[in-house]
Parts: sequence; structure tokens; C-alpha cells
Amino acid sequence: MANASCLELKGVWKVFGTKPDRALEMARQGASRAEILSGTGCTVGVHDVTFDVDWGETFVVMGLSGSGKSTLIRCIAQLTPVTEGSIQLDGTDLTSMSESELRGVRRDKMSMVFQHFGLLPHRRVLDNVAYGLEIQGMKKQDRAERALEVLDVVGLDGWGDHYPQQLSGGMQQRVGLARALAVDPQLLFFDEPFSALDPLIRRDMQDELLRLQEQMHRTIVFITHDFAEAIKLGDRIAIMKDGALDQIGTAAELITNPATDYVAEFTKDVPKAKVLTAADVMESANGDLVHPDHVAASASIESILPSLLIRSEPMAVVDADGVTVGIIDRRAVARVLER
Amino acid sequence: MTAETAPVGAGVSTDVLRKWVPWAVLGLGVVALQVTFGGAGSFPAALDSFINDPLDSLGDWIRANRRSHALFTGFFNPLTDLLNFLIDGIESILLWLPWYVVVGGAFVIPARVNMWKQGLLAAAVLVYTGLIGLWAPTMETLALMSVAVMIAVVLGVPLGILAALRPGVERFLRPILDAMQTVPAFVYFLPLLGFFGIGSVNAAMATVIYALAPVVRLTTLGIKQVPVQSVESARMFGSSTRQTLMKVQIPMALPTILTGLTQTIMMALGIVVLAALMGAGGLGENVFQSLSQRRTGRGIAAGLAIVAVAIVLDRVWRSLANIDPLSRAPRKWLWSGIGALVAAAVIGRLTGLIDFPEVWSLRLFDPIDNIVVWARDNLRWLTRPVNDFIVAGIIVPVRDFLTDTLAWPVLIFVTGWACWHVKGWKLALFGAGSVAVIGLIGMWELSITTLVQVMTATIISVAIAIPIGIWAGRKPRVEAAMGPILDALQTIPSLVYIIPVVILFTVGVVPGIIASVLYAIVPGIRISALGIRQVPEESVEASRTFGATPRQTMLGVRIPLAGPTIMTAINQIIMMVLAMVIIAGFVGGGGLGFETIRALTRSLFGLGAEVGLALVLMAMILDRYTQAWGERLQPPTGH
Repeated sequence: MANASCLELKGVWKVFGTKPDRALEMARQGASRAEILSGTGCTVGVHDVTFDVDWGETFVVMGLSGSGKSTLIRCIAQLTPVTEGSIQLDGTDLTSMSESELRGVRRDKMSMVFQHFGLLPHRRVLDNVAYGLEIQGMKKQDRAERALEVLDVVGLDGWGDHYPQQLSGGMQQRVGLARALAVDPQLLFFDEPFSALDPLIRRDMQDELLRLQEQMHRTIVFITHDFAEAIKLGDRIAIMKDGALDQIGTAAELITNPATDYVAEFTKDVPKAKVLTAADVMESANGDLVHPDHVAASASIESILPSLLIRSEPMAVVDADGVTVGIIDRRAVARVLER
Repeated sequence: MTAETAPVGAGVSTDVLRKWVPWAVLGLGVVALQVTFGGAGSFPAALDSFINDPLDSLGDWIRANRRSHALFTGFFNPLTDLLNFLIDGIESILLWLPWYVVVGGAFVIPARVNMWKQGLLAAAVLVYTGLIGLWAPTMETLALMSVAVMIAVVLGVPLGILAALRPGVERFLRPILDAMQTVPAFVYFLPLLGFFGIGSVNAAMATVIYALAPVVRLTTLGIKQVPVQSVESARMFGSSTRQTLMKVQIPMALPTILTGLTQTIMMALGIVVLAALMGAGGLGENVFQSLSQRRTGRGIAAGLAIVAVAIVLDRVWRSLANIDPLSRAPRKWLWSGIGALVAAAVIGRLTGLIDFPEVWSLRLFDPIDNIVVWARDNLRWLTRPVNDFIVAGIIVPVRDFLTDTLAWPVLIFVTGWACWHVKGWKLALFGAGSVAVIGLIGMWELSITTLVQVMTATIISVAIAIPIGIWAGRKPRVEAAMGPILDALQTIPSLVYIIPVVILFTVGVVPGIIASVLYAIVPGIRISALGIRQVPEESVEASRTFGATPRQTMLGVRIPLAGPTIMTAINQIIMMVLAMVIIAGFVGGGGLGFETIRALTRSLFGLGAEVGLALVLMAMILDRYTQAWGERLQPPTGH
């Protein structure tokens, strides 16, 4: 892994329509989406997006419908060409590749899990999972073995001979997940994979993904319109609006320090005491400060609240090695929870 | 249609003007033209020889060069030989096999995908054709149809796929396919006869041309209907365009593609009988014999055998369309079935038990003849006045009015105005121009004769079909009960049920009109019932919550919402009636139908082309006019 980041986007634009150059020019001069549409007939899908995704990170792009998040993920996967900007996967620019080079990259380095599963109804579950391997040119015996392995990983042991339409929605998406994992990709895309599922199944699938990610440490770009899902799964979250990114940060950063009113609107209803940890709220302090009581930096506010409320003086926050990294008191907590 | 809003302040007078000026123009125009051109005589057929002469000499040239010119020796003749070889080959195999092996095959192919009932039905109807002694002509027709369907697949599926992947190809193909479906099949019989000569091959080619459009269209539709996500997921795994097509798009589109084939089979059956006119033999010839001998029973027997061929082809294709991997009979059964058939074939050939035993014969159906004769003798009090009223009360006076009283420029003007009224200038120019061309090629009077018959049949059909359709759309049980009758009317060749009508009404205009009505009401009923059924339940419920009576709901919600679909039903009725023009020609309807037959039987290329052109133009005007009307009934959309 030569490169520091797995995926790097620099100034990516996507304009739909016949006059992309003119639309880009207008957008650069600060014209709104509506003005560009009426002026050129073009729609700006992705507006100057720049971000990096580190190896093994789960990067969530969160936005409402029409925000351009689906377009963005299709641009990264090069299912639609970008109008301008560069997209580098492990240091190689995808935007300048030919279609056949791209096919090679898709075969070996990336895969995607789709919102409505995108399974092939005329193939058994096993053959669905093996599809990517088949395209890679793997021998039948080998790909069946690999597919069985992956089915086991996603908890579908013994379902290989069934057809997708015989499975429940949650199980179908497990097939979609297994199919994506089978090719052992460097980069996994998730395009709102759980939004078509019932709430309880959705929670199961989220837990399943967290469990798998614990073991596998893949690089993931995850699209969702559900902020709760974003903070549950994402190491970092990008909030997308009108094709542009409003803010990129960890869940705690977005909650404690929203960059725009739009971001604040999402963080407003988040159960902050559950999401934030002592480390997110504390004031940093030197290691030699001594307080009689301490809490762990990774403890949730909810869990330390009872002990904080009965004290008027601050408590020490210590990291995993027992070193004090900051102090926290009930006023600081109240300030954050109030917001 | 964009809704135009009158400027505020201009008020009522603009609206009134907009509404009445066109009608005033129509009235003034008619009067002025009639006064100016009244008594100017018939249409100057200035272009008649322009088309007639070169085509007649082309016909002569084909006759003279069929054996020598490179176009024939190098292309058409080898192609004809190849197709003949295929058709004859399949026919000989079907006849070489003991009959029970063929019947068994018709069962096993559907049964292998667990379609037991369909397999049994296919086998049973084949046994029927044997029992009544029509086994040989049935196999002949089965062979012809199979080859026609195969050609339709070989040409149609790739074209459809190409059209789905390349919008340019689709734009290019669409008007051609439209034309193939509007032009009545018999129009291109004669040119095919020229290229392929008399025999089964030109019948197969005519079937292919007539029936190709649904294969192409449904293939395109099927490929386009494959969910984007499935195609994207294939691309995401690095599939090439070809891999995506072969592994994802075609397999997922297959059911739709094969539905198109089922439609093709149904359409192809429509011209099996006419194919006999081109020397194809088979069951069509039996029907023609029955018509000329006025044997209703035998005609029905042969007609049912044609339906049997349709059923066999349809069930076999439907079972091939069934790629649902869940409904597959155990492989063991399939192999034992095939094994049994092979063994039966070997034993049958060895013991000589091949031909269908003579159990019954066509005589079985002779009692029907007696019923028809009895009806003719005892229903004269009804048939005579009906016949006389239609002929003397409607057809003759209207035709005379249009040809003799009205000056021909008036008709051109009225057509143009009507087209302008529903659609605009483009259609008006097309309509008026087409009418003028029909006159210029010397088809004026023949076309008006046909037009009057077509319009009479259309009006009767609409008056019968639309109310029944609306009724059936409301009452699923009524529709289910009518299903078999409608199926029978649509599948039994029209020449079959024209036989009793001819006996009842004697030869003339009326049997043709009645046959057209019987043929055309089926799609009329089906499509208007569909329109009523497709009205969103929510709209109906909304109306009912406001306390609307069933009648108010019907008149205020269902019928207006079904309006465009009902217009489609009327459009289909007209197209069906036009397709029957040639049948009307057989039983004394005169007009373009009779001329078509004359041109066909005497190989008059010039006449054939003129009649064909007149019919095509008439069909296109009526088609576009009714379609434009249907568009007007469509509620305006967003932009």
C-alpha cells in the first residue's frame, strides 16, 4: 500500500446536459443550481467535491434525495464519467483510464452493494456471489469454493442453491454483500444498501457490517440518507447538499461543531449523550493534573452522567493507559447537550 | 396539448371566436368548393399510368428473367430453395415420425418445465386434428409456421437488442415497424410472389413481415426493462458490454422476448389462410375449399385445426419462455420422456404404425351444414331486410353521395380540415395530400366503395364493442365468461366464420361487413375493458366518498379516465376492419379488396401497387387521425 490514502477526490464536478463548460463557468462564478439550469439547461449533480478516504476507513456520504450523493458514488466508480476533477485510487487516476482499463480495475479492486440489491434472478445465490469471480475468469470449481466461503461469512451457510427471489429482503442484501466481498476488493461502495429494508432488519444488517468491518478493515464509501445510520457506521461523515459537501468530520465533530445550519438541522435530534464520549466534551489538560475521580476517555456521556451530576468539581478524563488527557465537569456537558 | 389561457380582458369574445371560427371555415369551404367544382366530374387520374406502366413492365421483366438474371439465380432463388428445404424438411420429419411421437413431443416439451396442463392441451388438440382426418395438412401448416417463427426470431431478436442499446437504431426502426403493423398483410403478397414465386416460401416471408414487429418491439422493451441496478452491478464487476448482454440483459429479458413471440404466432395464424392464396397449401387450402363448396362444417373443422396449430406453437414457446429455474421437472423424468419418444419412433417405424388411424373424418361436422341451411331457409324474414337495409339504405346512397354528388375537392378539404382540427398543419397536409394521391392514381371510386364499407363496419363494431367492453371492464366475471368466445373469434380464421354468413346473406357487401365486425369487436372489447379496469382505484374511491352514484362514477370518472385507451380500442377496430378488406373482396364486397385478389391471381403488378398504395394511405390517415384524437383525450402533463 504505497499511498497514504486509498481514495483521493480533487475538485470533482459532474454536470448533466449539453453545455457542461458553460455550466461549470457559471457555477464557479457562484450561480445557484436553479440559475444554471435555466441558463444552460444543465443540472449540476456534483459540485466541486474534494476528500480523501484512508485505508480501512468507513467514509459515509450523507444527504437527502436529490443531494447528488448517488451521482457522486457513480462518478467515483466511473459508472458515469466526471465532467472535471481527478479521482485517484491508490495513487492511480481513474478519470483518465480507458473503458477496458476501468474494467480491469472494477474486476480486481472495487465492488458495490446496491440499494435494490441488483441481484440476477436467473442465477442461484451461489452463482450470484460468484459472478465477479466468473468475470475475473476464475475456474468454476475455485469460484464455487470461494463463494461458499463468503456465504458462510455473511451467515448464509447452506443457501447457495436457492434463487434470490426465494430469500427475504435482508437475506438478499446479504447475498449482495457476499457478492461484493467475494472478489476481495480494496474499495467497497455501499449505495444506500439498507434503506429498502425493514427497520429491525436494517439494524441487524448495520450490526453485521460493523462486525465484518471489525475483522476485515476494508475501505468503504457508504451512501445514506439516514443520519443515525451515518453516525453508527461512519468513521467520518460528509454531509452533502445540492451536490456540494457542507462539512466533513467525525460524528462528534459534526455534533459539537456543525459548520452550517443545514448540518445543525441533522444533529439537532441526535441523542447526544449516547453518541458523544468524554473525550469529545472534555477540555484538554496536562497529564500531571490530579483529580480525585476519573472517567475513561471512551466512555459515553450517558454512562458518566450520574457521577458527573452529583459533583460540582471537574473529573479527570484518562486514556486507555491511565494517563490524564483532560478534565470534564457537568457545566461542559450541559453546554453540549443543550445545543 | 398545452393549455392556452386566454389573456385577461380579451374576455369571452376570444373564446367564442376560437371555438366557432374553424367550424365556419369548414362550412364556407365546403360550400365554396362544392359550388365551384360541383359537376366537374370524377377525379383526374393523372398519375395512373405513371405507376401502372413501369410496374407492369417490372412484372413482365420478373417473369422473363426469373430463371436467368443474377438477382434471382444469385439471391432470391437460392434463398427460396433454402427456405423450401427447411419447410419441406420439417414437414417430412413430422410426417415421417409416427403420429404418437409428435403428440408426445407436444406434451413433453411443456411438461419438462412443469407445465403439465399446457402439455396435455397441446397433445389433445393435435389428436383432434388426426381424428378428423386432417393430420397431413396440419403438419404442413405446422412446418410452415415453425419456419416463419424461426425467421422472425433470427431477424427480430438481434434487431430488438440493437434498438434497445442504440437509440439511433430505435429511432430508425420505429416508423418502419409502425408501417409494418398498419399496412394490411395482403398488400405485400404480390411483390413477394414476384420475388419468391408461388409456394410456401413467399407465404412464410409474408408471415414474417406481418409478424416481425412484435418480436422486435418486445425484445427492445424486455432489454430496456432490465433494472438499471442489475446492469450497473454487472458493470461494477468489470463485465464487458458483451458479457453484460449475454449474462444479464438477455436472460432477464427472455420472458418478455418470448411473449413477443407468442404474439407473433397469433398474428401469423391470421394469414395462414391467406397464405393458401399464394400456393402454400396446408390447412388454409381446406378452408378455401370449404368456402367455395359452402360447407360450413368442414370449414369449422379446418379452422379448429388451425387453432390447434396455434395452441401447439404457443404452448411450446411459452414453455420455452419459462426460464424460471424453480419450475423444472426432475431431469430423470425428462430423460425417460425423451427415451420413450425415441423408442416409440423406432418401434413405430419398424412396425409401420405411422399414420393416424382413420377414426372419424370431416363428415363428423356435416350436421352443422344442415343447421346453417335450415337457418337460411327459416330466417329469411330477418336476413333479407337487414341485407337490404345495409345495402340500399346505407352503402349505396352514401357511396353515390360521396362519388357523384360531392365534388372531389370537397373531400380533400374536409379530410385536411379534420386532421388540422385534431392535430395541426402537419397532419392536415399529410391527410389532404394522401387523399389527393389516392385520386391521382385512379383509385378514387374503388377507395370510396371500400371506405364506405369500412366506415359502416367500424361504426357497427364501435357501437357493439365499446359498451360491452365498458360493461366487461366493470364486471370481471362477465369478462371471464366472454373470454373463450373472444379467443375463438380472434384465433379462428375469419374466412371460416364468413362461410355461414355467406350462406345466410348470399354473396355481396353484407357478409364482408359482418365478418369484419365479428373480427374487429374482439380487440375493441378487450382494450376498452382494459381501459376501464386500469382506472386507478383511488380515483374511483375518491369519487365514491363524495357520494357519487355508480352512474356518476362511471360517467364522471371511469369513462373520462379511460378515454385515451378507448380511443386506442377504436383505432384497433379500424385497423382490424381494414385487414378484412381482402376477405370482403372474396365474398363480393367489391372495392379495393376485390381488385387486390384480381391483381394477385393474375400477377398484375401495376394494379397491385396502386391498390396497395391506396389502402396504405387510407390506413395511415385513419390510424394517425384516431391516434391524434386519443392524444387529445390524454390529460395534460407537467410541461
